[in-house]
Amino acid sequence: MASSRGNVHSDTAKKEQIITEFFTKTLQIILESRSPYMSSRHYSGEQVVSSPSPSSSSSPSSSSFRTRDKWFNLALRECPAALENIDFWRQSNLEPMVVDVILVQRSIDWDPVNFSPQRDILKNPTLKEQVSNFMNLESEDPCVVEPRNEKVIERWVVQYESRKSRDGSSSGSKKSSGNLHSLYKKSIVLLRSLYATLRLLPAYKLFRDLISSGHIHTYTLTHRVSTFVEPFTRREEVDMQRFSFAPVDTACGRLCLSVLYRSIVSDGSSGPSTPMSPQFIPDYVGSPLADPLKRLPSLPRSHGSPSCSPFSRRHSWSYENYQASSPLNLPSPSPSPSPSPTYSDSHASVSKCRSRLPPPLSLPQHLPEAFQATSKNVGYDEYWPSPVFSPSPSPSPPMYIARTDASKALLRCESAPVSIPISKAFNREILRPSPPPKLTRAATLKSDRSTGPSGSSVEKFSLGRDESGRFSGLRISTNSSPGISFSRSSSRPSIPDDFDDAEFACPFVVDDDDMGSRPESLDQKGKPCDPLDHGGSFPVRTSQDAAVGALVLMLKKAPPLRQDSLMASKADIEEAVLKPDNQQQSQKGVCTNIQSSSLAMSRTTADALEELRSYKELKELLLTQGKSSQVIDK
Amino acid sequence: MNCEVSQLKELEVEHFEIREVLRCILHTIMFHRALGLVRPKDVDLELFDITYVQCGDVELEKKIDEKIDQFICWVEKHPNKKSQICLSFYEVKNNKAIWFSNKVERLYWEQWYINLNVAQHHKPTSSKSHHSKVVDSEGASEERSARRAAIEVSLREVLFQIIKFVNEKKDHIPPIPSREGISFPYEITIPSSSDTTFGMDMIKRMLQTGHPTMLS
Repeated sequence: MASSRGNVHSDTAKKEQIITEFFTKTLQIILESRSPYMSSRHYSGEQVVSSPSPSSSSSPSSSSFRTRDKWFNLALRECPAALENIDFWRQSNLEPMVVDVILVQRSIDWDPVNFSPQRDILKNPTLKEQVSNFMNLESEDPCVVEPRNEKVIERWVVQYESRKSRDGSSSGSKKSSGNLHSLYKKSIVLLRSLYATLRLLPAYKLFRDLISSGHIHTYTLTHRVSTFVEPFTRREEVDMQRFSFAPVDTACGRLCLSVLYRSIVSDGSSGPSTPMSPQFIPDYVGSPLADPLKRLPSLPRSHGSPSCSPFSRRHSWSYENYQASSPLNLPSPSPSPSPSPTYSDSHASVSKCRSRLPPPLSLPQHLPEAFQATSKNVGYDEYWPSPVFSPSPSPSPPMYIARTDASKALLRCESAPVSIPISKAFNREILRPSPPPKLTRAATLKSDRSTGPSGSSVEKFSLGRDESGRFSGLRISTNSSPGISFSRSSSRPSIPDDFDDAEFACPFVVDDDDMGSRPESLDQKGKPCDPLDHGGSFPVRTSQDAAVGALVLMLKKAPPLRQDSLMASKADIEEAVLKPDNQQQSQKGVCTNIQSSSLAMSRTTADALEELRSYKELKELLLTQGKSSQVIDK
Repeated sequence: MNCEVSQLKELEVEHFEIREVLRCILHTIMFHRALGLVRPKDVDLELFDITYVQCGDVELEKKIDEKIDQFICWVEKHPNKKSQICLSFYEVKNNKAIWFSNKVERLYWEQWYINLNVAQHHKPTSSKSHHSKVVDSEGASEERSARRAAIEVSLREVLFQIIKFVNEKKDHIPPIPSREGISFPYEITIPSSSDTTFGMDMIKRMLQTGHPTMLS
C-alpha cells in the first residue's frame, strides 16, 4: 500500500509520494462523505475500519495506519477500500482519477441489510462485508434489484500535471525541497477545502439522510473509480455545475481537483427528471399547434391517403379554419380520425372540425374544377411550405402555440359565426403577405366584381385581399419559409372578419398539398403537383363547407386532385401574368396560407376581370348602340 | 509579506441566529487555516440545513464562543447597526529593538471581515429587506420561512466565498510553524464598546497590515 516510502531519499520520490498520498487522501475524503459504507460520521472516532485484507478488527492497531492518517495533517478514519484503490493508482500518478458518485434508485425489495437503518447493528461484525459491499456494490446490487436506476450526481476529477522540463532543470536541492514544502502545504489547504466543500454540495444531504434516518430508503449511493472520464450526455451536462478548486501549482507540477455536480438532487424516485417531463408534456399537448405539427410530419409521409394528412396540416396551419368551417357544414363524415384528437386538444370545437370536414368531401369535387382555373399554382407552393413546417415540428411549435392561443380565444368567439371567422383568419394571412396596398386595391376591385357572381359582397372584399395574397403566395411562397407563413396565418386569425369561405378552402387545400409534397417544402411551388393540390382548395373558395368537403374528397382521391391542381396551376400562372402587381406581392414572401386564399381569390379576380371586360364590352356596345341610336334619332 | 483581506458578503440575520452563523463562519475559516494535524468534526446547524467542519479543537471552540458572546452583548447595546467581526492571522516576530517594551511584533498575513446586519427581533424586518410586510400570522410565518431560506442561501454563499478565497490565495501563507492543529496565531476582533475605538482598531490593523514592521 504505502510502497513508495522506501524512496524517501530523493525529492522526486518525496514528490511522488506526496502526490500519491494526495490521490489517496482525496479519494478517502470523498468517499467518507459519500459512501454510506465507509462513512466516519456515524462511527465513533475510535472505530477505525482497518484494512480489509489482513485483519477485520476495527482497532487502529497498526501504526502504519496512524502514520498514514496524519498525511496532510488531516486525521481520518482509515478507509480500506480507498487505500486499495489507491494502490492501484500509485503505479501511475500521471493518470487522472475520476470518482463518480452514483445515485441508485432501488426497488422496495431491496435488501434491508445494506440500508442505513441496519448499519449500526451490523457495523462491527460486518466490517468485511461493508468493505466488500463497498468494493462490489455494482456487482451485488443487480442481483437483488432488478429495476435499477443509476444516475451520476457528482464527478470528481483529480489530476496531476507534471512539468517535466522544470522538474529536471530546477537544480538546487533547497529549491526543490522548498517546492516540496510548498506543494505539501498547499495540498493541505486544498484538501481542507475539499473536505468542507463536500459537505456543502447537494449530494451531502442524500448521504446524510441515508446514514442518519431510521427509515428505509429507496435509494442508495455508490461510487465508481476509474482513470478515464466517461463523457456525459448533453442532457446530463445541462444539469451539472462545475466547481474547480484552484490547482496546487508548484514548480513540480499542478495538482488539479474539480467536481461536476448536480445542483438539484432529489432522493425521490425519479429525481429531477420526473419534474421536467411533465412540464414539457403539458405544453405540447395543450397547444394544438404543437400537436398538429407533430402529427403532420408523420402523417403526410406515412399515410398514403391525403385525407389524414390534410387534417394534420390544418391543425398546424390554423385553428381558425377548423373552428369556423368545421361545426356547421360537415357534421357527418369525419374523414380523418387521427386528426380529430389533435383538434380536441387544441380546441373544444373538435367535434365541429370533424363535422366540417365531412362536408368538404362533397364540395371538393365541385371546387377543384372551378378553382383550378383560378390558379392555384401559387397556392400549391404555399401549401408546400406548410409541409415544411410539419417536418420541423420543434422549432415551429412554439410559434404556433402562442399564436394558436390567441387564435383560440378569437376562434372561440368567432366560432359562432363559423364560416366567416375562418375566412377572416385566412384573410389576415393573406393581408399580411400583400404589403403593397395598390395590389390589394386592385384585387378588391376585381374581387368585388367576382364576388358579385359568387353572391356575397363580403366575399368580394375578402377576395380582393385574397387575390393579393394569392399572387404573393404563388411567387412568394417559394421565397418565404414555411414557418414564417404559418406564423402569419396564425396571427391573421385575429383579423378574421375580412375573409370568407374561400380562405377556409385554402387551409384545407394546403393540407392536401402537404400530404402530397409536404416534405419537399416551399420551394417546390413551381412543381405541378402542388398546383393540383391547390386546385382542390379552390373549390373550397366557393363555400367553406363545400371547401371542406372538397378537401376531404381531394385527400381521398389524391391522383385526380393533383391533375386538377395542375390545371389550376396553369390557370394561376395565367392570372399572374395578367396581374403583375399581384406577382410582386407574392414576391414579398406571403405565406402559404395566403397563397391558398389567394388562389381562391384569384378565381374571383379573374372572373371579375372577365366580368369587367364583358361589362365594358356591354358598355361599349350599349354606348355605341346608344350613340348610333342617338345619331340615328338625331 | 502580503496581508490578504477578505470581505465576506454581508448577512442579514436576526438576533437569535447570530451565534450559529458566526460559529459556522469562524470555524470554517479556522478549519482552513489550522494547517496542523486536525481531526475534523462535522457540525450540523440547527437553524439551517448546513453542515460545516470544525477542527475538533476544544480550546478554539471555547474561544470562538467567548467572542460570540461578547459580540452578542455588543449588538444588544448597539441595535440597528451593521457590525463587523474580524478574524486575523499573524506571525509573531520578536523585535530586538523593542524587546524591553514587552511588545511582540505581529505580522498580519490574512484578515477576514465578517459583515453582519442584525435585524431587531421585535421589529419585522428592516426596511432594507425586500420582504413585504405581511400582517397575517400565516403570512408572517411564510415570510419567516422564506427569510430563513434566504439566509441559508446567503450563508452557503459565504461559505463558498471562504473556500474560493482559500483556494485562490495560497502563496501568502507562512510556513507551518507547528504540528499542532491551530498552527497559526490568530485573533478575533469584535466591535468594542465604542464604535470609534472599533474603527480605530480597524484602521490600525490596516496600517499594520500595510507596514509589517510597525508594532501593533
